[in-house]
Amino acid sequence: MIMNNLVAFPLLIPLLAGLIMAIYRKSIPFQRWFSLFSFSLICIISFYLIQQVSIEGIQILELGGWQAPFGIVLVVDMLSALLLMTTGFIGLTCVLFAFGSIGEEREQFYFYPFFQFLITGVNGSFLTGDLFNLFVCFEVMLISSYVLISLGGNKIQLRESIKYVVINTISSTLFLVGIAYLYAVAGTLNMAHLSVRVAESGQPGILTTVAVLLLIVFSLKSALFLFFWLPGAYSAPPTAIAAIFGALLTKVGIYAIFRTSTLIFYHQLEITHTLLGVMAALTMLFGGIGAVAHWDIRNILAYNVIIGVGFIVSGVAIFTPASLIGATYYFIHDMVMKALLFLLGGTVIRIVGSNKLKEMGGLIRNHTLLGWMFFIAALSLAGVPPLSGFIGKILIIQEGLASGAARAGFYWLAAIGLLSSLMVLYSLMKIFINGFWGETLLAQDMEKGDTKGLLLPCVLLTAAGIIWGVGAEIFYPFVEQAGESMVNPNLYIEAVLREVV
Amino acid sequence: METLMAIIIGILFTIGVYLVLSKSLLRIIFGTSVIAHGTHLLIITMGGLKTGGPPLLDGRAVSYTDPLPQALILTAIVINFATTAFLLVLAYRAYSALGTENMDHLRGINDNE
Amino acid sequence: MSWLYLIILIPFLYAVIVPLIFKHIPQIHTGWFVLPIPVLLFMYLAKYVTFVAMDSPFIHSVPWIPSLGINYATYVDGLALIFGLIVTGIGALVILYSIYYLSKEREALGNFYVYLLLFMGAMLGVVFSDNIIVLYMFWELTSISSFLLIAYWYQRKSSRYGAQKALLITIFGGFAMLAGLLMLANITDTFSIREMILRADKTTAHPLFLQSMVLLLLGAFTKSAQFPFHIWLPDAMEAPTPISAYLHSATMVKAGIYLIARFTPIFGGSMEWFWLVSGVGMITLFWGSFSAVKQVDLKAMLAFSTIGQLGMIICLLGLGSAAMYYGPVKEAALCIPAILAALFHLVNHSTFKGCLFMVVGIIDYETGTRDIRRLGGLMGLMPVTFTLAVIGSFSMAGLPPFNGFLSKELFFTGVLNASRLDIFRMETWGMLFPVVAWIASIFTFIYCMVFVFRTFAGDYQPQKLEKINNEPAWGMLLPPAVLASLVILFFFFPSLLAQYLLMPAVASVLPGFVEASLGIGPIEAWHGWTPELIMTIGVVVVGMILFANYHKWSRFYGYIPVWFTLNFAYDSLLVKTEKTFEKITRGYMTGFIRDYLLYIFAFFVVVLAGVILMLNSFAFNPDVNNVSMYEVVLVFVMVVAALMVLLSRHRLVAIISLGIMGYLVAMFFVIFRAPDLALTQLVVETVTTVLFLLCFYFLPDLKNKIGEIGFKAANMAVALGFGLIVTVIALSAQSNRLFETISWFFENSYELAGAKNIVNAILVDFRGFDTMLEILVLCIAGIGVYTLIKLRLDSRKVSSKNR
Repeated sequence: MIMNNLVAFPLLIPLLAGLIMAIYRKSIPFQRWFSLFSFSLICIISFYLIQQVSIEGIQILELGGWQAPFGIVLVVDMLSALLLMTTGFIGLTCVLFAFGSIGEEREQFYFYPFFQFLITGVNGSFLTGDLFNLFVCFEVMLISSYVLISLGGNKIQLRESIKYVVINTISSTLFLVGIAYLYAVAGTLNMAHLSVRVAESGQPGILTTVAVLLLIVFSLKSALFLFFWLPGAYSAPPTAIAAIFGALLTKVGIYAIFRTSTLIFYHQLEITHTLLGVMAALTMLFGGIGAVAHWDIRNILAYNVIIGVGFIVSGVAIFTPASLIGATYYFIHDMVMKALLFLLGGTVIRIVGSNKLKEMGGLIRNHTLLGWMFFIAALSLAGVPPLSGFIGKILIIQEGLASGAARAGFYWLAAIGLLSSLMVLYSLMKIFINGFWGETLLAQDMEKGDTKGLLLPCVLLTAAGIIWGVGAEIFYPFVEQAGESMVNPNLYIEAVLREVV
Repeated sequence: METLMAIIIGILFTIGVYLVLSKSLLRIIFGTSVIAHGTHLLIITMGGLKTGGPPLLDGRAVSYTDPLPQALILTAIVINFATTAFLLVLAYRAYSALGTENMDHLRGINDNE
Repeated sequence: MSWLYLIILIPFLYAVIVPLIFKHIPQIHTGWFVLPIPVLLFMYLAKYVTFVAMDSPFIHSVPWIPSLGINYATYVDGLALIFGLIVTGIGALVILYSIYYLSKEREALGNFYVYLLLFMGAMLGVVFSDNIIVLYMFWELTSISSFLLIAYWYQRKSSRYGAQKALLITIFGGFAMLAGLLMLANITDTFSIREMILRADKTTAHPLFLQSMVLLLLGAFTKSAQFPFHIWLPDAMEAPTPISAYLHSATMVKAGIYLIARFTPIFGGSMEWFWLVSGVGMITLFWGSFSAVKQVDLKAMLAFSTIGQLGMIICLLGLGSAAMYYGPVKEAALCIPAILAALFHLVNHSTFKGCLFMVVGIIDYETGTRDIRRLGGLMGLMPVTFTLAVIGSFSMAGLPPFNGFLSKELFFTGVLNASRLDIFRMETWGMLFPVVAWIASIFTFIYCMVFVFRTFAGDYQPQKLEKINNEPAWGMLLPPAVLASLVILFFFFPSLLAQYLLMPAVASVLPGFVEASLGIGPIEAWHGWTPELIMTIGVVVVGMILFANYHKWSRFYGYIPVWFTLNFAYDSLLVKTEKTFEKITRGYMTGFIRDYLLYIFAFFVVVLAGVILMLNSFAFNPDVNNVSMYEVVLVFVMVVAALMVLLSRHRLVAIISLGIMGYLVAMFFVIFRAPDLALTQLVVETVTTVLFLLCFYFLPDLKNKIGEIGFKAANMAVALGFGLIVTVIALSAQSNRLFETISWFFENSYELAGAKNIVNAILVDFRGFDTMLEILVLCIAGIGVYTLIKLRLDSRKVSSKNR
C-alpha cells in the first residue's frame, strides 16, 4: 500500500552488478568479491522487506509513477518477500561453491555476470505485478540460463542445450499466446486488475480455457508433468550451475502457478485445480519411478527435483488455507534442500571423478562431514521431522486427507504424496549406501578432485534447512501471512489498485 | 477480418508445429520462427483490427487502434530475435562440434550408462 | 517441579559429546562414560512407579510450534512407565555388555554410542509423547537409528542390505501410520492422544474409522515385525549382538505393541480391530515359532522366536480389546486377563530374550561361530553361560519355576476365555485360538530345547570352532545374570510387578475397567488343575517327543521351495521393481527432442480440447465484413510462403521463404495500422535472415539439400490439432471481449508523456521497464553468442579445477 523504492532493489542490484562485472570480466577476484557483495545486499534488503511487509502489509512500487493498471507495478507480498530472501541466500551459497569449482575459463567468460542476470530475471518474476512483465522477466531468466547451460561449449552441453532452448522457446511463445487471448477477453495486463475483472465476469468458459492454457505453459516451465527436458538439461552443466537450476529455475514456474491460481483464476476449481492435482500426482509418480530407476547421481537428483515440484503443486491443488501454508513451507524447504543436494552430489562426482554409483564406495571414511550432510539432506527431503520438510508435508497430507475439504477429498493425492516420499528416501539412500558406505575404493591421494572451499556453502545450506524445520515456529507468522494473501486476493488487489478501475 | 486472421494463424501454427517436430535442426528453428510469426499476428489480432487509425497523435484520426498490443509485439519481436540468434549460433556450434544437425543422432542416452 | 520431560532429551544432548570423548580419551572404553546415563534415567523413572500406580500420571507440555498445535507434550502413565523402565534398564545392561563385547581398539565406538543414545532418546520419546506429530518424529528416529546400527559394520554388503530392508519396511509403515494419525487428527480436531481418547466416540462414528485403523496398524505391524512384514528382522541380525539384544528384541520392536496398546481405547471394541490384531498376531506367533525351529544360526533362531513372541503379545492385546465392546461391566471380565497377560509377557519377554541374546553373543565371542551344527558340548566349557541359557530358554518354553511359565499360563487363559466369547463371530471361530496357540507353544518348546541342548549338550566338536575360550569376562556375564535373576524373581513375586506396574498399565489400555474392580485373580503359580495347566503339560509332553525325534521330521522344512518364502518375494520385488521402473523411464524418455515435443503438444491439444468441449466455450461471432481483396492476396501468399518453408528441399530456398514470411508479416502490420511495428519487423527479419544464412548456408560440409521432410501421421495429427485449437480459442476470445481495454489511458500520451507516437510512449515511458529488460535480453544474447564462439572447453586443455 505504500510506495516503496526498496521494492525494486532486489531486481536492480543484480542487474547493475552483472553489467559492472561484464565490463571488468578479466579480473576474477573482483568478480568474486562483487558477486558476494551483490548477493549479501540482496539478502539484507529482502530481509528488510520481509519486516516491512509483516508490519505494514503489501508493498508496491509504481514504475515511472504511472498508476496500475496502466503502468507496470512491482508488488511485494509476503510470499514474494520470502522467495526473494531464499533466492538471495541460495545465490550466495551457490556462488561460494562456484569459487572452488567452476573453473577459471568460465569465470573469465562472464559466468558471474550471467549468474547475476539470471537472478535479475528470477527476482523480477517474483516482484512483478504485470503479466507481460512476468513474461519479459521469464525471458531474462531463460536467456541467462541458455547461456549458462552452454557455457563452456563441451559436447554434452551443446547437445542438451539445444533441446533445452528449443523447448523453452516454444513454451515462451505459448505464454505469449495465452497473454494474447487473455488481453482479448479481459483487456488488461495487470494481475490485480485481471483478478478484479475475472471475478466480475464469473470466469466463464473462455477464461477457464485460457487459464488452463496458462497453467500448462507454467507447468512446462516448472517441470510439472511436462518434465521431459529436465533430466538432460540438469545433467549437462557444471555443478554450481546445475544447483542453481535445480533450486531456482523450476521454482519460478511454480510461483507463477501459485500466483495465477490463487489470485486470478480461482473461480472454477473443479477444472483448474483438479487438473493441477492430477498433474501433480502424475509428476510425483513418474518422478519417483525415474528416481528409483537410475543408478547415477545426476539423474537421481534431477528426478528428485521433479518429485518436489509435484508435491508443492499438490498443496496448491488442494487449495485450503492450511494446505497453501504447507505448500509455502515446502516450497522454501525444497529450494534450499535441492540446492544442497546438487552441491553435495556435485562434490561427490568431483571427488570420485564419476557419476555412476557402481563405481564409488566408502566415501564416508575420508569425507565424514559430506556424508552426514547428505544423510541429513536425504532425511529432510523425505519429510522426517524435525528437519525442514516435515511441516509442509504434514500440512499438505493432512489437508489432502480431510474429507471435508472444498471438493471431494484428495485422498489419492495424499497417498501418492506419501508414496513419493518413500521413493525419494529410497533413491537418496541408494546414493548414501552405495557412495558413502561400502568398501572404500579410493585412497585419499587417488581422488580426482579436492573439496577445498566446497563444504562451507553446503554447511550453510544444511544449517538453514535444520533451522527451517526446528525453528518453524519463528517463521510461522510470516508463512501464515503469505498464505493469507493467497487465500484472500482482496488484500493484494487493494494494495495495488488504490482506486478500483 | 478477424476470422480470416484466426484461420491463417491456425495454419501458421500447424505448419510451425509440424516443422518443430522434424528431425533436422534447421527445420526445428524454422518451426520456432513460423510459430513466432503466428504469435505476433495473434497478439495484434486479439487487440482488435482496424478499429481506428494508426496510434499517432497528429490530429487526423478520431479513434485509434489499440496501441498496447503493438508495444507488446515490439518487445516480443526483439526478445524472439535475441533468442533465435542465440539458438542459431548454438546450432552452428553444435554442428561444428558434433558433426551433425540431425537431432536423431543427438540422443545422448549412452552418456549416463 | 519434575524434570521428567527432560529425560527424553538427555540422551540426545549427551550424544553430542560422545564422539569427543571417544576421540580424546581412547584409552578408556567409551562405554564406561555412556553407562551412567541409562542407569540414572532408570533410577529416576523408578521413583515414579508409586505415583503412577496411584493413578496420577505425569503430564507436561513444552510448546514447540504452537501455531500448528505441535507441542512437546509428555504424558507418562503406567503403560509409558513400563516401557520407559524397560528401555533404560535393559539399555544399561546392554551398554555394560557392549563394553566387553566391542573392542575399543578396533571399533568406531564414537559412532556406536551416538547411534545407541539417539535410539534410546527416540524410544523414550515414542512412549512418553502425547502429541502425535512428536510421536511420529521419534518413531521415524527409531527407524533411522536402527538403520544406522544395523549397518554399523557398513563395509559388509549384507549389513547394508539388511539395514536398507529394515529402513524401507519400517518407514513405509511409518508413513502409513502418519496418514492414519492425521486422519484421526482431522476427525477429533486435536494432535493430543489423550484428547483423542476422550473424543473416541467421534472416531467410531466416522466413515474413515476403518481406514485410519488399518493405516495405524500398518505402522505397528511393520515396526513389530508382524506377518507379513516380519522379513526385516532376521536380516537385522547383521547388527552387533548388543544391538540385537536391545533394539530388535526388547525395545524397538515393542514400539508397535505400545502403539496398539495406546490406541486400544479408541479402536478397541470393534470387530475389525479384534480380528485384525488378534488374527495377525496369531498368524505371526505360529509362523515365527514354526520357522524358528529350522534355523541353524542361533541369532536367526532368536529372531524368529522374537517374531513369534511379539505375535503372541499382539494377539493377546487384540483378544483383550473385546472388553471395550462390553464396557466396564461384568461380561468384560473374560477379556481383561488377556491384556494383563500381554503386558506381563512384554516384561517377561524382555528379560529372558535379552538374556538369551547376550548368551548367543557370548558363544559367538568365545567360539567364533553361531552355527548349531558346529556347536555342541559347551556345557563343560562354559557352565555359567549354560545356566543362564537354561534359565532363559526354559522360561521361554513356559516351564516353572520361571516367569515364562506364568505368562504362558496367562496366555492360555486369555485364549481360552476368548474362545468362550459370543461376539464378533467367536462362536464359530473361537476354538481356533486355543488350538493354534497350543500348537505354536509346542514349536516354541522345541526350539528352546534345540537352543539349549544342541549348543551345550551333545558332542563337543572343537575342530569346527574358530577359537576356544572359557567363560567370558564378568562384564559379559553380569547383564544376562541380572536378567536371569529377574526371570526367577518375577516367578516368585509376580504380584509386586502386577500391582505397581501392570495394573496401572492395564488401566491405560482399558480406561475405567480397573476401577470397576472386576475381580481379576492375582497372578499365581498354582491355580489348581485348570485347563491351562493341562495345556502346558500337553505342550511339554508332545514337545519332548518331537524334540527327541527331531531328525526324523525336520526334513519337512526342506520341502518348502525357496521362491515361496516372503523373503524371496521381497528381494525379487525390489530388483524387479527397479528393472520395471527403468524400462518405463527409458520407454518414454527417449532422448529425442521430437518425442518430447510430441508429448507436450499432444498434451496441450488433448487437455485444451477437453476443456473447450466440457465448458462449451467455443463462440463465434462472424464479422468478416471488411475484408478487402489485397488482404486475401496477402493471406494467400503467406500460406504459400509457409508451405514453401515446410516442403522445400533446398536450404537456401527455405531460408528465403522464411524471410518472405517475415516481410509479409510486416505488410500485415502496415494494413493493421502499426507503422512502427512494420519498420521494426522489416529490420529484424532482414538481420535474422542474414543470420540464418551465415549459420546454415555458409558452413562447409553441409549439403545444399536437406532432404524431404517426410510424413508422420502422429506429427501431422498433433500439428493439425494444435492449429485448430489455436484458431478455435482465438475465435472464441474475439467473440468474448468482455471488458474495455485499458488503452484509452495511453491516448493522452501527449499530455502525459509529451509524445505524439503513442506506441513509442508506451514503450519508453508507460511500460519502459519492459523495454529495459528487453534490451537486457538482447545484451545477454549478444554476450552469450560471443561466449559460445570463443569459449570451447573441449578443445582447450581443461584445467583440473573444472566441473
